[in-house]
Amino acid sequence: MNKEYKLSSHRRNFFLGLGTAIILIFALVPLLTKRNDFINIMILIFLYVCLAQSWNILAGYAGQVSLGHAAFFGLGAIATRFLWAWGYPFFLAFPAGGVVAVVFALIVGHPALRLKGIYFAIGTLGLAEILRITIENTLPTVASLPEDYIATYNLIPRYYLFLILAIIVVAMVFWVSRSKLGLGMVAVREDEEAAKASGVSTFRQKMVAFAISSFFAGLAGGAFAFYQVSYYYELPFSPTWTFDALLITFVGGVGTVVGPIVGAFFYVIFKELFARTFPELHVFVFGILFILVVLLLPGGLVEMVSRIRRLVTARKTETGFC
Amino acid sequence: MLEIQKISVSYGDLQILWNISLNVEEKEIVGLIGPNGAGKTTTLRTITGLLRPSAGRIQFEGVPMENVPIHKRVELGISLIPEGRGLFPEMSTLENLELGAFTAKGRTCKDKTLEQVYELFPILKNRKKQSAGTMSGGEQQMLAIGRGLMSKPKLLLVDEPSWGLSPLLSKLIYEVIGQINHSGVTILLIEQNVRIALELANRAYVIENGRIVKQGDCRNMFDDQHIREAYLGTESA
Amino acid sequence: MNLQVWAQSLIFGIFVGGLYGLAAVGLSLVFGVMKMLNVAHGELLMLGGYATFCFFSFYHIDPFLSLLPSAFILFLIGMGLYKGLFSPLAKLHEEVKIKNSLLIGFGLSLIFHNLAIRIWTADEKSVSVLYSGWGFSLFGLRFPFIRFAGLLLAMIVIFALHQFLTKTYFGKAIRATTENWESAALMGINIEKTSMVSFGLGAALAAMAGTIVSVGYAIYPAMGLGWTLKALIVVVLAGLGNIGGAFVAGVLLGAVESVSTLFVGPYMEVVGLVIFLLVLELRPQGLFGKIGE
Repeated sequence: MNKEYKLSSHRRNFFLGLGTAIILIFALVPLLTKRNDFINIMILIFLYVCLAQSWNILAGYAGQVSLGHAAFFGLGAIATRFLWAWGYPFFLAFPAGGVVAVVFALIVGHPALRLKGIYFAIGTLGLAEILRITIENTLPTVASLPEDYIATYNLIPRYYLFLILAIIVVAMVFWVSRSKLGLGMVAVREDEEAAKASGVSTFRQKMVAFAISSFFAGLAGGAFAFYQVSYYYELPFSPTWTFDALLITFVGGVGTVVGPIVGAFFYVIFKELFARTFPELHVFVFGILFILVVLLLPGGLVEMVSRIRRLVTARKTETGFC
Repeated sequence: MLEIQKISVSYGDLQILWNISLNVEEKEIVGLIGPNGAGKTTTLRTITGLLRPSAGRIQFEGVPMENVPIHKRVELGISLIPEGRGLFPEMSTLENLELGAFTAKGRTCKDKTLEQVYELFPILKNRKKQSAGTMSGGEQQMLAIGRGLMSKPKLLLVDEPSWGLSPLLSKLIYEVIGQINHSGVTILLIEQNVRIALELANRAYVIENGRIVKQGDCRNMFDDQHIREAYLGTESA
Repeated sequence: MNLQVWAQSLIFGIFVGGLYGLAAVGLSLVFGVMKMLNVAHGELLMLGGYATFCFFSFYHIDPFLSLLPSAFILFLIGMGLYKGLFSPLAKLHEEVKIKNSLLIGFGLSLIFHNLAIRIWTADEKSVSVLYSGWGFSLFGLRFPFIRFAGLLLAMIVIFALHQFLTKTYFGKAIRATTENWESAALMGINIEKTSMVSFGLGAALAAMAGTIVSVGYAIYPAMGLGWTLKALIVVVLAGLGNIGGAFVAGVLLGAVESVSTLFVGPYMEVVGLVIFLLVLELRPQGLFGKIGE
């Protein structure tokens, strides 16, 4: 279903060069424009890249579809927000968000990962909802930053935080996908029984994927808590974040490195395009695309692009061969 | 009646049958024998439509079966008594039998057919209300056969009817199969016990590793050396 | 805390539990036949509620009268959804089929949610009839008419379903397909048609629950997920595919939730979810199921 294309060294250098160029451009954006709305859109894209990639590691590579991703996003947000509000410096509060999320994952992972397939999905959904309802009732208020801080709020460092986080998450997925760890995960995804039979510790693979996934979701949450001036405490626990991650990853191309990036980009673009005329239409459109992907094009946009490319090169060799 | 020409069948990437050809004439009993895993069950399943061949043709009474779905084949007169009986464990004996008559043809003479089945297997009448899953192996086999008859089939495919049964019960089952054949039903039979198969059937095909290696009249097969060595050498259980 | 408060709480819990049961029965039926959990079930319930609401707002038809038409509309929609989206999956490998049906259900839930917001706005709606406030009292306990009727209706519908499944040929075909689809096919049962009708039935049952919710409670586009979870909890509690047990488990869940409100207030939802996770983890065949199911 998902292929990681073995790139020739030419191609690899091309992509590396392209990637670096893109990152450089992104890095320069705040220097080139003062338009906050543009910067906010970029931040949203980076946020969704993190959210989707972290989900992708568990679902796309290890094959465990989780519907409780928001739980870790929320935990990261709440941990970071509180530590930060209590006076700890952000550079400590931020990773703490990821740590809290991972610890939670390590604890619930043991019972949760014993569930297979759809039971894992609804189990994680149930878990995330438990957290959300608990927070909704224990902290029904809005988390807001103190007024004097709001006065000094600067968007730029937040932009770079998200950019760097996105780069790290993508790099992590890239690295894992090519590592022995990644191979193990994919083996579990493709055929868990066979993997077990050939000596792969399937539980360990799933657990590691789960831990990595939750850690980065937690970091994303922490970044969110740093960025969003005020929000209801239960907001990051809302299942909408999970659903966004699913839509983005599948439409972009689940189990690929580039898929969630492409998906996030288009998701936010659609969101902005329709924001004034049809708010939420982007969810509707992606919902339909999602179903189409599941039924017809499991590799998502990434697969579509590669199919088109193959068609084009096939044409070329047919017509223009010397 | 049934013509299979050069079919090949695979489970995913694993090819089980290679260019199998066989045919069954009306009113015959044809046996399918061979070692475990040779592809006998696969052949029967392909005839019913549970599996589709990747190559070759199947014709039943002159009608090509390529695009005929499973439930339609039953209506045309093909009935399978699967390996392991395939009963509906939570449903009662009577319900299982009624379901056997699900097709239009079966329903029209359901009551009469039911009486006939009860005559063949009186014990099923006693167990009318009992859940199929709670019955003994022999009773289940009788129920499976009875159920298979409810659709008034022209061709009855039977997969290892004596599996797991005592010799006494097996003998009974085979007598019944003989009776069924006498009443006009064509039978294609998989049987592990080669001796019984050859005694019961008119003709037989031997499948090994997904290929037909021998075929012919059963009387001649008894004298065939390969068969004697491979299958009749020791008294198998 | 006096007995009256307990009892009243229990009564309300049983009323809503009947609805949980009705909602779960449809999900259970679909799971039995198609071996898939339709996570858009709650959205189908929501649509049923909105259908009733529309019948009432535009044509002033009493919700109890529009119960069957609404259900029928959802029956057709359900069959259409099966034909278009789920039947292409039928040919796939079991695991892939289950995963993909989960995903498609998920996509559907989002689409329906959005569609509902677009058509009816995100506000809560409710069907207010003349007798909305009526009720009767027994032993000092209050029995709101509508909710009581809802419970009765749920019981009637489930009884009717039971009769259908045990006394009619098609109903038996559905049960056969649930137990062993290959053998069912070998009986001459058209599995495709059976699955399609079952899915439509599941949607119709959800719609009926939705109708009652629209009168006795309130409907809004986002309600789908909550109801899907409730139905999932009940289905897991009863044991997947156990239709009769689903009603009992539903009433149980309703009662437990309602009574626990007295102790933990708004966290009562958590109680249900925790029980759900425990059952999933420790007794996956459900409270009433058999080992090996």
